[in-house]
Amino acid sequence: MSDNLMVVRTSFIQRFFQSIGVSSFQALLRSLIKSFAGAGLGLAAGLLVCYYAGEPPLKILKILYQSSFGSGYDFGMTLYYTAPLILTGLAVAIPFKAGLFNIGAEGQLTVGALAAAWAGVLGAGITSPFLAVLFAATFAFAAGGIWGAIPGFLKALRGSHEVITTIMLNFIAAGMTAYFTLYTIKDPNSAQAETIPVPESFFLKPYEVFNGAPMGNLIWFLIVLAILMHFWIWNSRWGYCLKALGENERAAETYGITKQRVWVSSMFVAGGLAGLVGLVEILGNSHKFKIGFSADWGFVGIAVALVARGNILGVLPSALLFGMLQKGAGSLDLETEKVTRDLSYLIQGLIILGVASEGLWDGLSRFLGNHLKQRARAKQTGGTK
Amino acid sequence: MNVIEFKRVAKSFGDVVANRDLSFEVKAGTIHGLIGENGAGKSTAMKVLFGIFPADSGEILIRKKPTRITNPVQAMRLGIGMVHQHFMLAEPETVLDNIILGHEPGWFPGLIFRDKARKELTEISKNYGLAFDKWDVPVSHLSVGEQQRVEIIKLLYQRSDVLILDEPTAVLTPQEVKELFQNLLRLKQEGKTIILISHKLKEVLEFTDYVTVMRRGETVGTKVTNETNEDELAEMMVGRKVSFTYQGIRRILSDSTEIPSILKVKGLSFKGLSESCVDVTLNLRQGEILGIGGVQGNGQSEFLRFLSNPKEYFHKVSGEYTIRDQSVLADSPLDLRKRGVSLVPEDRLAEGLLLQQDMTENFLLGQHEDPRYQSKFPGLLDRDAARARVEQNIKAFDIRPPYPTVWSGRMSGGNQQKLVIARALDSKPEILFVAHPTRGVDVGAIELIHEAIMNERNAGRAIILFSSELEELIDLSDRIAVFYGGRIQAEFGRKEFDPWKIGKTMGGGNKE
Repeated sequence: MSDNLMVVRTSFIQRFFQSIGVSSFQALLRSLIKSFAGAGLGLAAGLLVCYYAGEPPLKILKILYQSSFGSGYDFGMTLYYTAPLILTGLAVAIPFKAGLFNIGAEGQLTVGALAAAWAGVLGAGITSPFLAVLFAATFAFAAGGIWGAIPGFLKALRGSHEVITTIMLNFIAAGMTAYFTLYTIKDPNSAQAETIPVPESFFLKPYEVFNGAPMGNLIWFLIVLAILMHFWIWNSRWGYCLKALGENERAAETYGITKQRVWVSSMFVAGGLAGLVGLVEILGNSHKFKIGFSADWGFVGIAVALVARGNILGVLPSALLFGMLQKGAGSLDLETEKVTRDLSYLIQGLIILGVASEGLWDGLSRFLGNHLKQRARAKQTGGTK
Repeated sequence: MNVIEFKRVAKSFGDVVANRDLSFEVKAGTIHGLIGENGAGKSTAMKVLFGIFPADSGEILIRKKPTRITNPVQAMRLGIGMVHQHFMLAEPETVLDNIILGHEPGWFPGLIFRDKARKELTEISKNYGLAFDKWDVPVSHLSVGEQQRVEIIKLLYQRSDVLILDEPTAVLTPQEVKELFQNLLRLKQEGKTIILISHKLKEVLEFTDYVTVMRRGETVGTKVTNETNEDELAEMMVGRKVSFTYQGIRRILSDSTEIPSILKVKGLSFKGLSESCVDVTLNLRQGEILGIGGVQGNGQSEFLRFLSNPKEYFHKVSGEYTIRDQSVLADSPLDLRKRGVSLVPEDRLAEGLLLQQDMTENFLLGQHEDPRYQSKFPGLLDRDAARARVEQNIKAFDIRPPYPTVWSGRMSGGNQQKLVIARALDSKPEILFVAHPTRGVDVGAIELIHEAIMNERNAGRAIILFSSELEELIDLSDRIAVFYGGRIQAEFGRKEFDPWKIGKTMGGGNKE
């Protein structure tokens, strides 16, 4: 064996490409173009539907654009819809790496949000905003994490399937948080089913430019969080175990990866991240826990993760896309006569379908490629004859 | 008449050239052998023929007509069928349903007329002398040999007359191999053409009519089987002379009592999922290879699983298992690794590899806690260090294609095995469990793998070698223990090695 062990340091860029599953800059461009083209195709199909419903496509496009980016307020609201989806998207994508399908982000975020509100009640004396937010974040992460770890434990100890247990825990979470909201920390001054508001030191201040849309520094925190999660999964031993187990359970076990440990830990992290939705909603927006506050963020998170194709970093653009569509749905309903909320969800669905149909693109380009090649060949042989 | 003709066919995957220049012809009604080293491009060539990959250039003539096959369905329609190395059967479903899949009989949409198929299949089985009638048994209940027969019947049911078999004997016991070839000869009599991909020269010489040799993506030549011999074919395959038995230096063990045992198993009994072990007692000394033989299904597989992961059996096992006189009954695979144990698992695809990850990722499997591959930053892995080791091993083991970024699923069986073995040896283990190191691996690679194992032995490692090939055990082992019905039926010292005697104990007979 050679003695001069040459360690070739791969460059940061190279490693980054590797981590998102492409081999070069061109490959990255190709995959981006594919995604955009998919979204475009889906949108076109949606516009066609609107056209037949009696609304000019250009008008729809304009409304969609205006409602997402038209003003500071609109953009702020788009980000406000995006933020929880980043978290729930991660909460689905991370266990997915280990071969687990987390349908329970909804329950995990509910429990986490209640914990954040409760932190406000318990920590009423905390005056430093930094400590207050940290306190609430810890509570939310821990509560969501424990809620997420339960299915992990059940699978590890009893072999229960996580899809069943996470769905069931969604219902239990809804019932349990409703109980605490109504009987334990109910706001005595309110006729609504909501908890005592958190003190002002817990508030997350929104940016001025957003003109009242409830989004501030938090969005940067979430973006950094997603990037960190990506690099952690890609480079860490823990992430390695996740990926190995997700790909070949028997091989992972044979080579000493304890699957039970991976199941519990990945579900804990996922639940914790979903729980952080409490920061967005409780500290950032309503300042109290209201029953049924979530717009199905936990379930939309599944779609976010799927469109991101299980790529942790891909959750960011994917969440933004869904945020835009959710924001746009309301505007379309208001500003057009024919396009109702349901129809705008249909458009949403078509766009998702377009992005997700990667296989279709591959097939189409291969077909075209073959076709062209064959024609070229026919020409060649025809020419030599 | 030539049923199939390859004319200068080439196929590459990105930068990796699998087939450079293939030209050969297959005559109707013959058994045609296709041999070559790992990565020589045999399987790719057949997949091109079967329409799984399109050829980049060149021409394939089917019954004298230039044909472009773009998918397997088209190939099947042309009467070409393939039995893959890893069977393509839905295990929980019945044999009948597996066979008729895609060709369900019946005129009413949505209904399947199984009785009609059953009748037809019974006929096929009778006509071709296949002696098979377990149509309504789930495939998972069949032995490997029977599953293979199901695959062949499936092709006959689809009226294929060119049958491609990819390494059909790699997973069979000697008896099953005999049966398989009887069946193939019978099929030939009935006018079928058979293309046999193999690396076992003996079979090829015994049963084929013609043999085409491939090397590095090219056809070296086609020979009439009767006019060639083992040495010539091996030389054509590898490009140089090859020795068939290990002829390196064998360090003579001084009297065995002088060397203390490093690994001991005493009175081990447990009931596993499919096999059990009964009162197994073994000692393993440093610098020796202990061969474990026996017909598949007699407890060796469970025994290996127990040895490499005793923790999983902790609650149901009685007896002792010690390494350096410390009990390891509660050890996990990682604990064992810390004691210097390393493993080459039985089934590299199911237990050894992450097929959609590159060589570096695969190399880290099981070594992900090795201090050499930890980054300075806590919790992170140092993939550059791992990749550098992979590069070294690619050279040392001649792994092809020689790029650490290749997915292990895209490598040929032999090269995958080299990677698994390189990984097992990387931590410089003191104890090595090696199972079927050359299963589905060809001559050139076998030589290299055997040499690597012998080198480890001569460096003082203790090795347990599981193999279903008696020749391999006899070549390499210092002692052989034969399993039968979960017990050790007999143990042989090197001086007592006699294939006939060992074979007798494998069938349950006594040593004397």
